[in-house]
Amino acid sequence: MTTPQAEIEDLIARTAMGDRAAFRLLYDRTAAKLFGVCLRVLNDRGLAEEALQDVYCKIWARAGQYRVNGFSPMTWLITLARNAAIDRRRRRDAGERARVAPIDAAEMVADPAPGPAQQAESRSEAQALMSCMSELPPERAEMVRRAYLEGATYAELSDATGVKLNTVRTWLRRSLMQLRECLSR
Amino acid sequence: MSGPEDTDLPGGWEAAAAEYVLGLLPEDELRAFEARLSQDRDLQQDVEAWSEYFAALTDPVEEVAPPPQLLRRIEDRLFGRKRPSLWQQILPYLLGAVAAAAIAWAAMFSGMLDFRNEPDLWADLETPSRGLVLLAHYAPESQTFMMQREAGDYPAGRSLEIWMIPEEGDTPISLGLVAEDGLTQIPVPQELAAAMDGAAIAISEEEPGGSPTGVAQGPILSIAQMAPRDE
Repeated sequence: MTTPQAEIEDLIARTAMGDRAAFRLLYDRTAAKLFGVCLRVLNDRGLAEEALQDVYCKIWARAGQYRVNGFSPMTWLITLARNAAIDRRRRRDAGERARVAPIDAAEMVADPAPGPAQQAESRSEAQALMSCMSELPPERAEMVRRAYLEGATYAELSDATGVKLNTVRTWLRRSLMQLRECLSR
Repeated sequence: MSGPEDTDLPGGWEAAAAEYVLGLLPEDELRAFEARLSQDRDLQQDVEAWSEYFAALTDPVEEVAPPPQLLRRIEDRLFGRKRPSLWQQILPYLLGAVAAAAIAWAAMFSGMLDFRNEPDLWADLETPSRGLVLLAHYAPESQTFMMQREAGDYPAGRSLEIWMIPEEGDTPISLGLVAEDGLTQIPVPQELAAAMDGAAIAISEEEPGGSPTGVAQGPILSIAQMAPRDE
């Protein structure tokens, strides 16, 4: 029996060879997840639909490069989707900073540790990341999430926290190093 | 050119790898980073590892089914100008039909400039080898596409599917199945209705219930161009 991961890899490989039926199957298997990611980033259905079209056009064009960069198949697809959605988002906000919800350290609560059932379901990377993120000060973990899931820039993170841009950057880089150290344990 | 190492920022290239994946690197540093990334295998592994970890941030993101027509739009964008071989085979016939439609159009433009009433559109779909004759009729007033079997038998245990090709090179769009008996009536959505004049209509034979993939699988029995008729 093939694992879902092996199936997605196979579909990407066949797509790289110009197999349109495989491409359609790949779309069937992955579009709902990638559309969810686009919606999360853009929070706008119309734009998310456009971003999703960008994503699958890129998948078709770049499927041959998939093996070159050593990502797992879902990571590769999610990264493409997230980046395409953020491109759309930044074009929409072109020039002006997006209005961002404030990040208030006092109001942030650390994410509760995932329950056993959730842990069993999620990938080992997800478990490691969640547990290491929970070791960061909550407002910094939130910055990382905002940057990845909403494409927030340092300028926007500075607005959201009311902290000077250079200071935000210094904090975040320290947190990223802390995260890296925790993840490599 | 300034790289992260030229600044007082903590973390050096390793932190920059995470910033890169998060999309946080300022423009000038981005270029320096990518130049180094192409040379530095360790840095590439850092970027891969961060990509893998941060992608896990989307684990709680719920799946949402995209609207059904989105795949077709993607395929239009990707393959719109290149038809599968099945359609390439019938292209010569299609080109003849296009010429006929162009003449019809020219006649219309020179003859009458009143477009307030859009004309009804018609096409004869004949399959001489089977003695099958279908008449396609589009009524703009009710935005209804109709099809009547004038001669020949409905293939036993199979379905006849109706495809619309708005413009040459477009991906065929399924309009539905020809009813086994009586008049087939299919309401046409606005965006297709606008493209009906001059569109090609094709009939393919499919498994019962029609093509499961949204793409014609079976043989193309006939194709013709929708055009107004002298009444």
